[in-house]
Amino acid sequence: MVATTNNTVPVTVLTGYLGAGKTTLLNRILTHEHGKKVAVIVNEFGEVGIDNQLVIDADEEIFEMNNGCICCTVRGDLMRIIGNLMKRRHQFDHLVIETTGLADPAPVIQTFFVDEDMKDKIALDAVVTVVDAKHIQQHWDADEAQEQIAFADVILLNKTDLVTPEELAELESKIKGMNGMAKIYRTQNSELSMDALLGVQAFNLERALEIDPEFLSEDAHEHDETVKSFAIVDSGEVDGQKLNNWLSQLLQTKGVDIFRMKGILNIAGEDERFVFQGVHMLLDGKADRPWKEEETRKNELVFIGRNLDEAQLKEDFRQCLV
Amino acid sequence: MFGVGERSKILYQQEWQGNLSEYVTQVAWSSNGLLAASSAAGEVVLWQNDSLINLLPADLASIDCLAFSNDGKFLAAGGQDGKVRVWSILDYPLSQGGLGEIYALDNAPSWIDKLAWSPSGNQLAFSLGRYVQIWDADTQTVVTTLPFSNSSVLDLAWQPNGENIAIAGDGGVKVWSTKDWDDDSYLIDMPSASIVTAWSTDSKYIASGNLDNTVTVLEYGSHLPWIMQGFPGKISNLTWSQSLANHAPLLAASSMEGIAVWKKAAKDEDGWDANVLTLHNDKVQALEFHPNSLLLASAADDGWLGLWTNAKQVGQILEGAPHGFSSLAWSKDGQLLAAGGRDGELIIWSESKRDKGFG
Repeated sequence: MVATTNNTVPVTVLTGYLGAGKTTLLNRILTHEHGKKVAVIVNEFGEVGIDNQLVIDADEEIFEMNNGCICCTVRGDLMRIIGNLMKRRHQFDHLVIETTGLADPAPVIQTFFVDEDMKDKIALDAVVTVVDAKHIQQHWDADEAQEQIAFADVILLNKTDLVTPEELAELESKIKGMNGMAKIYRTQNSELSMDALLGVQAFNLERALEIDPEFLSEDAHEHDETVKSFAIVDSGEVDGQKLNNWLSQLLQTKGVDIFRMKGILNIAGEDERFVFQGVHMLLDGKADRPWKEEETRKNELVFIGRNLDEAQLKEDFRQCLV
Repeated sequence: MFGVGERSKILYQQEWQGNLSEYVTQVAWSSNGLLAASSAAGEVVLWQNDSLINLLPADLASIDCLAFSNDGKFLAAGGQDGKVRVWSILDYPLSQGGLGEIYALDNAPSWIDKLAWSPSGNQLAFSLGRYVQIWDADTQTVVTTLPFSNSSVLDLAWQPNGENIAIAGDGGVKVWSTKDWDDDSYLIDMPSASIVTAWSTDSKYIASGNLDNTVTVLEYGSHLPWIMQGFPGKISNLTWSQSLANHAPLLAASSMEGIAVWKKAAKDEDGWDANVLTLHNDKVQALEFHPNSLLLASAADDGWLGLWTNAKQVGQILEGAPHGFSSLAWSKDGQLLAAGGRDGELIIWSESKRDKGFG
């Protein structure tokens, strides 16, 4: 799902609470002169009929799949709709999937990891979350609101005109604590450059980790949120076998609570960087480009999840070093 | 990568080739030997006397499903504009005025993904989101709306004896009796979603191909299904062979590029034995048993259409869609085979007179 050849269609997953500004953003994407034909799959009642664009209604449904080893949810409707759409390959260049305000975005993302028909044809581009700067205060307790932020690669902190600068700064700091990987943009009326939205390639393993250095160095923020993100940076060499054992055990026991993880690893005895990413229990990884001469070989891992024991995970990782 | 002799037999030879403008979504034969085909550009065509009659032009929304009524008097098509269109075929061959008026049921913005005519009358079942509607062509009314409820409908199949209709989706297959639509449905429970479902030709067994890479077979009326495992991915196609004397019909299933043929052991408790057919190196898009023999046809994205003698060995490989086959259908007498391609190819082969003796 990560290879971006000419034959794969990038897909953007758009999340956010009702009224946050998703439909406005969708309209911007559809009417913007970016020269791309965008197909949109919506699953609430926001009809967005624009010339030459496709808007497809999807039912809201989640398919539970239980095959014994991993438990993952797949959206059967996505398979059905995208399967039908892909028959006309040249009809669109980019796919946008708008999830309902109350949906957990994980099943949508996981579909692109696990479905064998889609892996080769669709490349996840980014999860974009629109946050209503004013009304998010009422939704903090909702799991969905936290998950939408936690899963995001791009966050639009929208309706900034409705809150004070102090409230906004506090909100942004809180969101950074929950998700240190996402790029946060302060917006009004969901106004944002298309470059920041489409073609982000946040799921492309080759561009795996462009972590904000500020996030890597920072240990200062202490938030009391149950959802948080943190990074592990270590310059040692990793024992591949130990790492494997640790990761598989971690995903089995903590997969439900790990929303996303990404990393670049320095495996002992290997000249290439090892890159990986995961969504809940699903992990995708491969050997990447060779380390450069002038580069300092090191490990960088990022976790976003709920109730994660940062100290324990850091210690467990250290145990994997040679 | 497969064991075919140096000179494979010629079982079928090309009879005709034409083109639609886009991916051929479905091909279907009527009981009178009329062929219909639909495309992702929205075309619907009929093949007659080696030429195509256009029923719907290109540049409409994709037409995704197509079927003739059992007596060949009606053709129905459904697709992404939400319309179910029904033509009446008054006269065959289609002389002047052979095509009757068309009925259109408008269900936009829902897509119509699946439709099928009753084997015993002019009732048409079509999927509509989480429902299946039954429409009667004689009275031109919707007879009933069956609530699948769990998810959108992924497949539907009438029992060949006309007694029941099966609807597949998340949680398994629900079976409604056609005798009393208001009766509760019978649920064949699955731990995942049922993607495809098919009744055996003798109406005795019902098979379901599932999202969790399994195939389930139930002798209808019993409560203990057999579960077949070992597939590399979700199940895309299911087809039953003709009825066999003293034996349950064979069941073939495809998953990704693989095909497996299942044969029931003599004793129920011994289950079903699998034979894996290896040929394709890309996804099998269509799989169908010959109506009167054990010849099995498989059409795949790799551009090969495999004909499997006795559902065992490759008897012949047909080509003609370099970027992949998308659909196939046997004529009712099995003498003709039609297939559609990703780039709009529409090809008809006929049974070779020179080289008989398969099946």
